[in-house]
Amino acid sequence: MRKKRITVSCCKMASKLARAGVRQVKPILSVDHGEARQRVLNLYKAWYRQLPYIVMDYDLPKSKEECRAKLREEFMKHRHVQDIRVIDMLVIKGQMELKETVEIWKQKHGLMAYWKDTVEPKPQGFLNKFLDGHE
Amino acid sequence: MKNKLRNRNSLAHDSLTTAPAAAAAAAVGTSRKMATLARTLHLVSRIRPSTVLSILPRAAAVGCLHTTSLQEHRGVSRVVQPAIDKTSWCSSSVRDYSSKPPLTLDLIQQRVLLVLKLYDKINPEKLSVESHFMQDLGLDSLDHVEVIMAMEDEFGFEIPDADAEKLLRPADIIRYVADKEDIYD
Repeated sequence: MRKKRITVSCCKMASKLARAGVRQVKPILSVDHGEARQRVLNLYKAWYRQLPYIVMDYDLPKSKEECRAKLREEFMKHRHVQDIRVIDMLVIKGQMELKETVEIWKQKHGLMAYWKDTVEPKPQGFLNKFLDGHE
Repeated sequence: MKNKLRNRNSLAHDSLTTAPAAAAAAAVGTSRKMATLARTLHLVSRIRPSTVLSILPRAAAVGCLHTTSLQEHRGVSRVVQPAIDKTSWCSSSVRDYSSKPPLTLDLIQQRVLLVLKLYDKINPEKLSVESHFMQDLGLDSLDHVEVIMAMEDEFGFEIPDADAEKLLRPADIIRYVADKEDIYD
């Protein structure tokens, strides 16, 4: 466990503190942005190298290029995160996902969920609305 | 099958034991020391061809003649070839899977530029040896990681992160590969 303390700027604490929120917290894994950046890039490399084998193992109906695009999209979702501890947490979650995928503890539907839209479409037409409970 | 193998091995062992005797006799008799050395080595090599052939080509102390399987067991009265023979090195029957093609700076440059041209996020018209990945070619850090991975696959060695983040132009990559492969022009 690291005893070093790092300075983290928390925007949400600004409302509670008089000045812009800057407080000392214990790091999770990385101490500065450079180290966090290295972790993120290594995770990307590991996923990128594993993609052809994922497509083969799970018999995904996606091509390698589609998988790479999806990988890039998933990384770009969090591109604006600045908090080092949040970055570390996301890296750890990504590593857990990679471990599960490599060891084939997931199934095909678990991986295809990456392409699934998270927002369910609103019911359209009378029957769908009726079945959904709207009158 | 097992009996045949055992007979073969016993024959081989016999040949090993008789070889020094034959060698001694031959040395005392007429032939040169080198010929006897070659004969013993030849017999030894026939018994374990793979280990003898694993000697590097530069070590010219022992000249390997050619591989023969254990099934052929010819007599001692073979045509004796000289022990040190660099030219008739077993070229056809040995494959060097671990050797790389000879590299020059020019070849490295061609390979690096080819890999970059094949990358679909790079515009081949804008690509040159001195173009910066981020500023001139408009790549971001993840694209840069992909480029470095392509270079690792192309040249067959790992590039550590500390070095990888400094390779921001094709010229840097060419210089780095040349340093790693010890190529001076």
